[in-house]
Amino acid sequence: MGDAVVGVVANPLSGRDIRRLVTQASVFPTAEKANMIQRMLTAFDAVGVHRVLLSTDLGGISASVFRAIERRRRQDVRWPEVEFLDGQPIRQTAQDTVDAVRRMVTAGARVIICLGGDGTARVTASAVGEVPMLALSTGTNNAFPAVMEATIAGLAAGLVATGAVPADGVVTRVKLLEVRAGDRAETALIDVAVSTQRHVGTRAVWDPATVTQLFCAFAEPDAIGLSSILGQLSPVARHEPHGVTARIAPEAPARVLAPIAPGLVMPVGVRDIELMSPQSAYPVDARAGVIAVDGERELTFEAGERPTVRLRADGPRCVDVSAVLTASARLGLLRRPPGVRPTTSCTHRPLGGTHDRHGGAESSDPGATAERLPDDAGDP
Amino acid sequence: MMRAIRDFEERVHAEFATGEIPGFVHLYAGEEASAVGVCSNLDDRDTIASTHRGHGHCIAKGVDVGEMMAEIYGRKTGSCHGKGGSMHIADLSKGMLGANGIVGGGPPLICGTALAAKIKGTGGVSVVFFGDGASNQGTTLESMNLASVWNLPAIFVAENNGYAETTSSTWSVASDNIADRAAGFGMPGVVIDGFDFFAVHEAASEAIARARQGGGPTLLEMKFTRYFGHFEGDQQTYRAGEVDHARAELDCLKRFAARVTETGELTRSDLDAVDAEVATMIDQAVAEAKAAPPPAEADLLTDVYVRY
Repeated sequence: MGDAVVGVVANPLSGRDIRRLVTQASVFPTAEKANMIQRMLTAFDAVGVHRVLLSTDLGGISASVFRAIERRRRQDVRWPEVEFLDGQPIRQTAQDTVDAVRRMVTAGARVIICLGGDGTARVTASAVGEVPMLALSTGTNNAFPAVMEATIAGLAAGLVATGAVPADGVVTRVKLLEVRAGDRAETALIDVAVSTQRHVGTRAVWDPATVTQLFCAFAEPDAIGLSSILGQLSPVARHEPHGVTARIAPEAPARVLAPIAPGLVMPVGVRDIELMSPQSAYPVDARAGVIAVDGERELTFEAGERPTVRLRADGPRCVDVSAVLTASARLGLLRRPPGVRPTTSCTHRPLGGTHDRHGGAESSDPGATAERLPDDAGDP
Repeated sequence: MMRAIRDFEERVHAEFATGEIPGFVHLYAGEEASAVGVCSNLDDRDTIASTHRGHGHCIAKGVDVGEMMAEIYGRKTGSCHGKGGSMHIADLSKGMLGANGIVGGGPPLICGTALAAKIKGTGGVSVVFFGDGASNQGTTLESMNLASVWNLPAIFVAENNGYAETTSSTWSVASDNIADRAAGFGMPGVVIDGFDFFAVHEAASEAIARARQGGGPTLLEMKFTRYFGHFEGDQQTYRAGEVDHARAELDCLKRFAARVTETGELTRSDLDAVDAEVATMIDQAVAEAKAAPPPAEADLLTDVYVRY
């Protein structure tokens, strides 16, 4: 087993689109994205991650983390070694995320965490291959990434990366929707929507009146975004093998109130609800329009192209944070022998025997009396 | 409209090199989708304020192209009778408050016109275009604060072309996106691909409609590249490659043409006809400007605040 390496890719542009204007979506500050990464670094160190690969950006996230590392170094407080993935052009497009994730995969990352919204998770998923990913929300409409404390996500990612918690049962493969129009293809993790709009424009879809057809890999009753339309009518869980599709029409007899975007709850007419079987190609009715993947208009199509949508079972492998920490509790991985006074500057703690490179360090501490969890795990 | 701006700027670029045009010119080529995408949502009730790079905003708000060219040539037939030049083209009859030689000079002006529109109940909206350099000016930040406090129908359009003169915005703007600053003033801030006419038009349409309905100000940030230097004659030693890339891959006119022909909204011959019409208009504007007389001695005492 090589070094325990975790990759972290952060999208500087997530949480910036037009939904700030047309809905009450919040702006996710750059400073908070950088803080989240720092909190993860603390968590990584606590569970024995050796090296972290971090994406670089022109948005100030990586620069802020770099400054924090320098400050920490002066204070003689240690984080894992952080390698900034610089030296390649930053285009300020989704390609930056793809490039960073590919480098992480090549460099042997065992878990890749992405910070962004549904769009960032979708792009990360396209490049992550077989490496488990963990999507954390810093975006707008987040049906896929978890809204969760970064420290906890960092602990879970670290426990999987070190092998302390075996991937079986805590890393699960998710479904994927594939849409094809002519020779072009896109994938979506949650939903594919067909819109009557003609242009990609500002990308977001916030008016259900423009949507004519919807395909969902899963539709959770408590989701935000387009999948919420079917989440209340025909819920499909992430782990179920099938998906669900329907036609959206204002005059349809079945109507549902759906939270399409933050601060936007709209009545939507739905008909022809049908479960999607894996691998079958479902045709798009419209002759021309735009296809939105995970809520973002991405693919325009014209007459004659007849796009199709297919549910695939071979999506990315995703880390289930709750399952990892439940396993950790069962295995006692974060318990400490009496008397240990852990700090982030101390050597990495051996976990579950899989990384016992400093074996015996704890037991040599005299006067130990109490079990403690790392008291700095939540320190930003 | 975007073609008119592009041709106008390309022509001024060529003519300036002959030495016939007095003063300085700062060209807008590459940024057309911003001016046109925003101004195509405006009407006669609305006003705009601009920057030293103002030709595109003027054309998009309907200022006469012939008068603009004459103004740049310093001719009596110009928008300001040849006394303003490139950086002061204004036409109040069109709601164009003026190009502005002062960096950050525009935002306070539109707070004034937006307040007037609000008090008079005209439904008018005011828009200011400013650059990434001006985004750091106190006047800009104060105006955003004022617009928010007074809930003015004001739209702040940050045209982030990446450089304040020759200083990269990554060195001079403390936040990654200028739009992020909107949060501090309690207004929505949106980042937009400034090369994409449809994205700009859609975002501006939402922001302007919201302002008309009393929803208050919005900050829109356009990200793009200017094709020419900061001013004509700028050696541009501070950047390399990105302009060629933008012209080849991102250009707003190319993307617009590709898109509307793909959807069948326009044909290639429709676009060619527009291009030909624009070329004639620009030729005529230049010929007329060159033929027009400069202001006479007697004009020295007109268009001034003090009566002599």
